[in-house]
Amino acid sequence: MTDAAIPITQSAVEQFTERYLTFLGSTIKREGDRWEVTVPGEAETEIPSGQLVLFCGDAAADLGENERQLHPESSFFQEIIDEASERQPTGKITISSKNTQIEIPQWLQENNINVNDATFTPYYDRSAIAIHYRISIETVSEYQTELLRVTAIDIRSMERLPNLEETFLESTLPTEPQIESQPVDVEKSTADELIAQTREQIVERVQPKIDEIHQEASRSADAEIEEYRQMQQQRIEELEEKKTRLSDRIQDLSESIQQSSDEGDRVEALQKRKELNSEYEDVDSELEELHHRREQGFPRKQREIRERHALEVIVSPLTITQIEYERGELVLELEEGTVTRSLTLGYGDGVGITDELDCEFCHQTLGEHNSLRTIQEGLQCSQCYSN
Amino acid sequence: MADFDLVDTEVTHESATDLLESIDADSPERDHVQTIQAVRLQAGQPDSELRSLKQLDVESVKLLEHQVDAAYRALFEMDGKALLADEVGLGKTIEVGMILKEMHFRETDDSVLILTPAQLAKQWQGELLEKFGLEYVCNYDDEFRGFDQHDHIIASIDTAKSDRHQATVLNRDWDVLVLDEAHYVKNEETDRYDLIDNLSYNYGFFLTATPIQNELTDLYNVVSLLRPGLFGTRDVFHHYFVNSNQETLVNRDELQDRLNKVMIRNRRADTDIDFTNRSIDTRTFDPSSEERELYQAVSDYVRGAYSEDQGQKLVLMLLQKEVVSSPAALKATIEKRLDGQSELTHTDELESILDLIEGIETVTKQENLLSIVEEARDHVEMGRVIVFTQFRATQREILDRLTEEGYTVHSFHGGHSSQEKEQIVENFEEEGGVLVSTDSMSEGRNLQFCNIMVNYDLPWNPMRVEQRIGRIHRIGQKRDVYVFNMALKDTVEEYVLERLYHKIDLFQQSVGELSSILTRLEESGKTFEDEIFERLVNADSEIDLENDFDAMAVDLQEQRELAEKLEEFNSGVFEGFDLGASDD
Ligand SMILES: [Zn+2]
Repeated sequence: MTDAAIPITQSAVEQFTERYLTFLGSTIKREGDRWEVTVPGEAETEIPSGQLVLFCGDAAADLGENERQLHPESSFFQEIIDEASERQPTGKITISSKNTQIEIPQWLQENNINVNDATFTPYYDRSAIAIHYRISIETVSEYQTELLRVTAIDIRSMERLPNLEETFLESTLPTEPQIESQPVDVEKSTADELIAQTREQIVERVQPKIDEIHQEASRSADAEIEEYRQMQQQRIEELEEKKTRLSDRIQDLSESIQQSSDEGDRVEALQKRKELNSEYEDVDSELEELHHRREQGFPRKQREIRERHALEVIVSPLTITQIEYERGELVLELEEGTVTRSLTLGYGDGVGITDELDCEFCHQTLGEHNSLRTIQEGLQCSQCYSN
Repeated sequence: MADFDLVDTEVTHESATDLLESIDADSPERDHVQTIQAVRLQAGQPDSELRSLKQLDVESVKLLEHQVDAAYRALFEMDGKALLADEVGLGKTIEVGMILKEMHFRETDDSVLILTPAQLAKQWQGELLEKFGLEYVCNYDDEFRGFDQHDHIIASIDTAKSDRHQATVLNRDWDVLVLDEAHYVKNEETDRYDLIDNLSYNYGFFLTATPIQNELTDLYNVVSLLRPGLFGTRDVFHHYFVNSNQETLVNRDELQDRLNKVMIRNRRADTDIDFTNRSIDTRTFDPSSEERELYQAVSDYVRGAYSEDQGQKLVLMLLQKEVVSSPAALKATIEKRLDGQSELTHTDELESILDLIEGIETVTKQENLLSIVEEARDHVEMGRVIVFTQFRATQREILDRLTEEGYTVHSFHGGHSSQEKEQIVENFEEEGGVLVSTDSMSEGRNLQFCNIMVNYDLPWNPMRVEQRIGRIHRIGQKRDVYVFNMALKDTVEEYVLERLYHKIDLFQQSVGELSSILTRLEESGKTFEDEIFERLVNADSEIDLENDFDAMAVDLQEQRELAEKLEEFNSGVFEGFDLGASDD
């Protein structure tokens, strides 16, 4: 599950910028960290045409007109990648045996067996689609997390090609020699279908990260609910005190009403008692409601807090790349001591071995977790060999 | 941690229509791989740098690797909310200085509030200015007009929470909050905690060497102020990380993972800081009978005048300090007092003190200073010695005397421009000899080329003393440091030195250690100076006075032991935690 993001180092910034400016038809005159750039008038870009001076790293604190800084956090670089990221989100590239090395998987080599020769014979061209997805995970209590992942699947068989994903990511690094691209020749509907096929699987792949953030969000929500509960508890205590106070005062008033002989005083006390009674009822009903809500566990507030802390995962397809690659047969010449054996396997460029290979003794599949142990009396896996 | 499922997760798939449209608009001249790279770079983390570092004057501040790392991580890996919890003496202030400098460079510091214990506020101000060129107003400055009138403020936390200022402080949205000695807010039932809890800020940097004061919950409180929710509820935290029978830590790994998101703790043992030794030589001298008489007269006067009018405390305290510094220092103040007020009641007493001053022919301390500097001249490179005094008049006398004796001398006081000050320090380095300085010699000056200093008189404030020593005994000092203290027998100076400073081992403490001893003492609202002065004027007898000072020493000693225990406790809890700079 490789991260498709490229760390923004100063050298990546300079490589990309140089490539992009050249692509726009600009000329660059480099003098150390100072680049003198001339952007042609007809270039299709937001960068103003004419003279431009770039300072790499953190040079000049005061910039003049037409002078910009170029470093990982510079606004000029931001502008450039923002522009370039939208320029051509679809395209086709070719991976051919001419520029890739034959990959012999580790599980064939974890033993005393030598691979003396490996020959790939391509038989037919195949197409795969690689899609870059941005997965953004958001919740109120955590910083927004953005992940970039790529998935590659064969157009015809719809099988996922993890090795091709790796090859694709590696061969499109800014440090690698440039690969030519052509227009895509798959139908829109096919591409649409492939997106529908892959986007759920991309979410599954980042599920551990989602779970981690989910845990944290749950914890924050829990803390907030608890805080609210305590606040309400405090309020209940306050109200109860107030209720007792009011009740005492009403009691006192009632006594004084009974004992008072002066009518004026009595009327005044009655008036007062009425006010207090109504205040008492207000407090009482608020308390009752609070008690009720507490018994229920404050469902509305809980819901509100939980909703606010909910995770929002947004999956966006950003680029579609059609990858043309060759499939055919790989012939491996193996040697262990005095024994040699020739092995023919399905193979694809950038994809690796496409066949499954079974142990000739126990018929378990050979692979990453079960390597080839010996070829002395046929192919034998390490699991049954050790028994 | 217990599995929680309190909140929902909603997955939305964004429409691919626009993306699919571009299949039709696909043009061969355009470079698809470039777009792929741009998309991947957009998702990448910028290789952030502390861009302001290059602007720092290497003469004013030496940065250490762990400090740069801490500043970097706090800013870029913790998104500007960090608990800086280095062990004492590793320079947390420098780390914050770097952070603030960087934020200034990036123009994200429109409003900054630094809250510190009262006795550290001015020191913060000085360091930020001298080491980082950052100008802050302190609430003790005359020009301070309130928390809504300046954008860069250093204040004592108690001033900020006072009735007078609190509303203004809370009313503002601060860009940055720095909280020094953050463990003082660990208790959620205090006003200080409430203040920080209610403050609104985008970036927060909390400092403490001892995040845990009594129990692990302290850590919960401090961290929760900074990153609410990171630890969930108090109960859950307690159940999960504390074995309630033994109050010990359980699930260390997870606690460390969680802390790693917000806390940085460098340990002395992991850094390459290597302090040289510090030797203390306290010399007490018998005053001449004339000096003794003068001291007695002044002390009597001070005591009498104070009992009549406590409003004169400051000036009386000054007299009491001056009499042990030099007769010259005393003289100026007495004369001013006589000239200034016509209705003075103690005119006769003051006149007779003046007579006593005139009667002094040899100044004992001066004579003895000569033997120290002479020793230095014979044994130390270019005979460099720094002599500190609190008073300009004393300084002038020392300078005159040393010049008479044929020494190369340099004078440093607050009246010089900063350019002149630089020149003075430079001359001292090149020419050698004796630099006589008042306490205005500031933190930023680099004086590591000198390793001998003399306290000609002693401030009644332990922080001052440590600051003096810190001018030469600091990172970069390659030789052992010698500190000479001069005191006259049977005077306040002897009491302060023998009964207080030596008892708390003041001369071997760092500023950080001292502040944790003193902050507790000063929570009572009194300063160290007050404590000394009150004892001096209120004691009924010599024995009384000695007992009083001993009692104060016992208190200090207790605080010191507490502070040490805390340090040990914290290093125990965090032992095995890797919360410092990573190697990769
Ligand atoms: Zn087998």
